[in-house]
Amino acid sequence: MLNEISRLFFAGIDIGSTMSKAVIVDASGVVRAYVVGPTGAEHRRRANKVMEDVMLKAGITLDEVAYIISTGYGRVSVPFADKQVTELTCHARGVSTLFPDVRTAIDIGGQDAKVLKIKNGRLTDFLTNEKCAAGTGRFLEVAADTLGLDLNEMGRISLQTETPVKINSLCTIFAQQEIISRLSEGQPLPDILAGVYIAVTTRVVKLARQLKVEPPVVFTGGVAKNVGMVKAMEIVLSMPVLVPEEPLITGALGAAILARDQAFQLVQDGLLQIKKKELTEAHIDFTEKNR
Amino acid sequence: MVTAISKGLSLAHQIYADRGKRVRELSEAGKKVVGYVCLYPPVELITASGMVPFRIFGDMSEPITAADQVSTTVVCPFLRSIIDLGLKGKFNFLDGIAGAHTCDIGMTLIIAWRDSKIARPFTHFIDVPHTDQAAAVDYFEGQLNSFKRHLEEFSGNKITDDRLKAAAELYNKQRKLVRELYDLRKSDPPLLNSIENLEVMVSLFSLPVEEGNTLVEEVIREVKERSNRPAKKKTRLLVWGPVLDNTALFDLIESADANVVVDDTCVGTRAFWADVKPPYDMHSLAQRYLVDLKCPRTYRQSEPGETKRDYDKDLDSRFNYIKKAVTDWHVNGIILQSVKYCDTHGYEVPNLKHYFDTLGIPTIYIEHDYSERSLAPIKTRIEAFVETLG
Repeated sequence: MLNEISRLFFAGIDIGSTMSKAVIVDASGVVRAYVVGPTGAEHRRRANKVMEDVMLKAGITLDEVAYIISTGYGRVSVPFADKQVTELTCHARGVSTLFPDVRTAIDIGGQDAKVLKIKNGRLTDFLTNEKCAAGTGRFLEVAADTLGLDLNEMGRISLQTETPVKINSLCTIFAQQEIISRLSEGQPLPDILAGVYIAVTTRVVKLARQLKVEPPVVFTGGVAKNVGMVKAMEIVLSMPVLVPEEPLITGALGAAILARDQAFQLVQDGLLQIKKKELTEAHIDFTEKNR
Repeated sequence: MVTAISKGLSLAHQIYADRGKRVRELSEAGKKVVGYVCLYPPVELITASGMVPFRIFGDMSEPITAADQVSTTVVCPFLRSIIDLGLKGKFNFLDGIAGAHTCDIGMTLIIAWRDSKIARPFTHFIDVPHTDQAAAVDYFEGQLNSFKRHLEEFSGNKITDDRLKAAAELYNKQRKLVRELYDLRKSDPPLLNSIENLEVMVSLFSLPVEEGNTLVEEVIREVKERSNRPAKKKTRLLVWGPVLDNTALFDLIESADANVVVDDTCVGTRAFWADVKPPYDMHSLAQRYLVDLKCPRTYRQSEPGETKRDYDKDLDSRFNYIKKAVTDWHVNGIILQSVKYCDTHGYEVPNLKHYFDTLGIPTIYIEHDYSERSLAPIKTRIEAFVETLG
């Protein structure tokens, strides 16, 4: 069995609120392929799609996948997963795979933000934002819409200044109004954009401070792809932050690594039964109370 | 008519689903029923006056719509739910209501109730001092004496020393039985899950004391004998916080591979841990409710009168009863939960977190707005918390 599993692969699928990600690792935990795509309205089809895409990229078939862990907001709608694990545990695992010494991880996604405390690769404590999109990617999207800019462009422009304006409101809607009034006051665009990043960051760092920010700090999630945000994070925290090459996939990577560990553990316990997998669609019962 | 005779856990399940059923029957048969809010109006006095006490809870599945007439939305949603149900006529079977100054909103609730169209013939408010010192106990005894006189006047029955003693002994018996029931959750897996336990607790607050005692006795017997016991799960948790009168949160936690084996809430241990001590007089009652009943609404200090503050000693004097429960019930982690806007419990959370951090016991804080709907977003955090305990 141990010989058999060493030739097989392990998958992590992270169905986030905005983006879906999948990662395939081999028996040594090396990433063989990853994909990222928008989640859209159909979680259940999305899981199949990212899984098909990632296998195609890795050049493997479903029969070669020994164990699959699903995570994220839509983890319940991955019927072919062997196990579901929360995104908090998976992110911690993914981040510490890339940065073994990490002590604090800040993840900002499309609709949520989370702060993880990690010690020796294990999640020890965490906080998440609650019920409000302030301090998430959504806030940046609203700002970009208001200014008629592309998100990446917005990041680059913000780097042109060292004097960000102050955006006081932490509420997405009020901040939008504040941006408009700063514009009409004639404030330069780079200053306003840098101010927007500082405002989002401040909101998340406030959460992080409740758990004490200890270096090294790793910044992940879709929002970490934005250069303006990374700069703002370093300013607000007054310390350098590390950003993975692909900050979107740490959750899926953690899930894949956990899938690998879990499969090896089960082999050791003589319990692993590799089930014949099929990429069936999730049956979603709309009467269920799941959000 | 009663079709099948339910007893034990299935009876508790039925009562939980329709809490007012038994007291409505008693009311129709001519008994007077006095509703009370919070744990501080002594049930011994209501029972000794020949009336039936009925603890008033809210309803997490009923959207709050009518309460806006009497309060804004930035107050305790549990107490808002109560007045909301009252305004919707859900407590019309009550002959009266008794409240106590456990917190400020607990007081304003009684004012709103008294002044509204749902006011019943009897309304009484007990002032409860905020320290557990001797002078405060004496003052509180005076407050209880006026509650006693008011109950006597309304019921037409004298609360004699003997009747008070008899009522105290009945409630002490109930408390002892509940502690016995909780003991059955010390094993792994526990013999009773937290959902079943809460249904029994809610039933006890909905029945006359003797009937409640019979129910717990039946449940204890049933739980010891039954074969379909709760499953062993990954971890054992304690749940702390203010009123938890709905099984939805326990349901959510237990589905995250955790057994809730003990609690510190006022629908659980807090209500049943302290007995009334002999000689079962008014002073014994004051002592039990003000000093021995542990609720964060009362100011406590390790050395009363001492001005130099020893933070850790203070914390230990306030919380070591929870530490004891953690040891006795083999708890791996604590869920600190509170309803939104509960100042009384909110200020306690950082202290509790610090205390249990020092002891190496993991905690998580969750907040909800006293609606079943608001619990869903908490699910991932509870699951992640259970994963960290692995």
